[in-house]
Amino acid sequence: MDLIYLILATLTFGGGFALAVASLRREEGRRHGLGIPLAVVGLVFQLLFLRERGALHGRCPITSGAEVLVFVSWSIVVFYLILGRAFRLSLLGLFSMPIVFLLQVIAIALLLFSDPGARPPARLDVWLEMHASTSLLAYGAFGLAGIAGVMYLVQDRQLKSRQLGRLFYSMPPIRYLMSALERLLWIGSLLLTVGIVAAFWMDVRPNATHLFIYSFVWLVYIALIIVHALRRLVSRRFALYVIGAFVIALVSLSALSL
Amino acid sequence: MSIFCIGVNYKTTRIEARERLAISEHSVPAHLGTICNLKGVNEAVVLSTCNRVEIYGGGEDPVVALDSLKAYLESYFQVRSGEVDFYRHQQEAAANHLFEVAGGLDSMVLGETEIFGQVKKAYMIAQKVGSTARQMNKLFQQSFTVGKLVRSNTSIQQGSTSVGSAAVDLAEKIFGSLEGCSVMIIGAGEMSRVTAQSLVSRGARSIIVSNRSYDKAAELAAELNGEAVRFDDWESKLDFVDIVISSTAAPHTVVQAFPIRRAMARRRGRSLFLIDIAVPRDIEDGVNVLDNVYLYNIDQLQQIASEGKARRERQLVICRDVIAAFLREKGIDALAPLPPDRVRHQDTEQNRTDSPGSGQPLTEP
Repeated sequence: MDLIYLILATLTFGGGFALAVASLRREEGRRHGLGIPLAVVGLVFQLLFLRERGALHGRCPITSGAEVLVFVSWSIVVFYLILGRAFRLSLLGLFSMPIVFLLQVIAIALLLFSDPGARPPARLDVWLEMHASTSLLAYGAFGLAGIAGVMYLVQDRQLKSRQLGRLFYSMPPIRYLMSALERLLWIGSLLLTVGIVAAFWMDVRPNATHLFIYSFVWLVYIALIIVHALRRLVSRRFALYVIGAFVIALVSLSALSL
Repeated sequence: MSIFCIGVNYKTTRIEARERLAISEHSVPAHLGTICNLKGVNEAVVLSTCNRVEIYGGGEDPVVALDSLKAYLESYFQVRSGEVDFYRHQQEAAANHLFEVAGGLDSMVLGETEIFGQVKKAYMIAQKVGSTARQMNKLFQQSFTVGKLVRSNTSIQQGSTSVGSAAVDLAEKIFGSLEGCSVMIIGAGEMSRVTAQSLVSRGARSIIVSNRSYDKAAELAAELNGEAVRFDDWESKLDFVDIVISSTAAPHTVVQAFPIRRAMARRRGRSLFLIDIAVPRDIEDGVNVLDNVYLYNIDQLQQIASEGKARRERQLVICRDVIAAFLREKGIDALAPLPPDRVRHQDTEQNRTDSPGSGQPLTEP
């Protein structure tokens, strides 16, 4: 049943993306208006999947690569629903959905070909669960920051080139995008800090590789925040580095899943 | 019972004739009183704006009513018969015309929203003086619904249609809300004034005006409630402004890349929008490559405005489909009177529920 929920969630996000693109291509002012409802439906299916997997393991369902990817996708959607609404960045959904879709397609493939099955813990360690879940939530915030970075570059390019395509009028102002991007980096960094600190309270010694990867990703983002605060980076390059940092974080996920 | 409409607009009549036919707001009630006593006219609404003078009415015989309305307008405004070409619409065509007017489809600036408020106001005045009854109430309520439908279901409002609106739209795509944005004008020309006023109308504040002639700068600054600065000092203000509009008559570049680059280093990443509406151009084109600097010249703004107009033209077809679908669904029958035994009850209900802008589609219960 868990796989069905995941497939339904993936189809929902894929469908939402297709609808949004079709709506933009039609040049009709009326956007389909289904972005938020579809994100909520997809989120519900993700939650059902995570609940099933949580029940299977008897703990937070982030025990395999597939689950990690779904958890990160889920947190991207959660941050989109919270911040996208707050910043009136409805188009963030359009840019988020293909990423979420892609991550979940990989998760489905992993589950189909190498589902490790139930992995109940010998003893439930609250700090371990907190370490893993907050760290992956941080990845969701970083993911959405990367997506906001892509949007910033697209809008900046349109403004610079004076070629105002159909997307231009639907895109948020670049000042709002930069503001959302900065906040997401702060949120992600704070969550990752909590995750790393929680690792030191775990019953077992923290996995050195995991800790190294999390710390490396944390350092990358802290460096970005500091450099940006000191205005040592121009906005375009900052957005580009935020996208690059998320690619690094994504690659590190594969190492975390080992 | 029928509905009808007679009038003139900017498409059919030159401004000289429209001026003569214009009905001022304070005289509308008196006109309505007279119009409702004309042969064939039972109820009426007068819509008079810069671009149109129209009378919508309901009555038994539309041909008789329209003839008497035409005669009244010609006689009152002393227009010779045939001097002004009044358009006349009946039934569905009249409803369709009002819906297009309320939707901004018949406006000079396609899709503009001001007309919606003017239609509402015209209806409110008529309702206040008691010149509306069942048919006009229904027709106008439906026009408000259609006006909203057109705007929410299409992008008729999207895209700039003038240099001023293109500048405002671009500024909003850079800064979001313009509230709190400060504007500097270099060169106190007419185009600068118009563009600055467009920005001020959307919330921009702190207008700084700089001109070779300080007196002219002070004059424009006073008009825009801003501050005048000497022409030699405008560079020092670059750190604090968000938008610069330049339109001097200088034969050479006035704003070079170097001071902009220097100012950007001090602005800590804040964007700067430069609008160059001078010919020859005032601002060095190279500044556009600087990070967070966006430069548009008059040609580029005009190009955006032309594209915006073309975009709205393409939306017109979709808007008309929306109106046609509404008329197909509701039909002109919805405007027809009820049988006598239901009229009394309905009119009582109507008085309770009809209010301009309630936006509820009125259908037969």
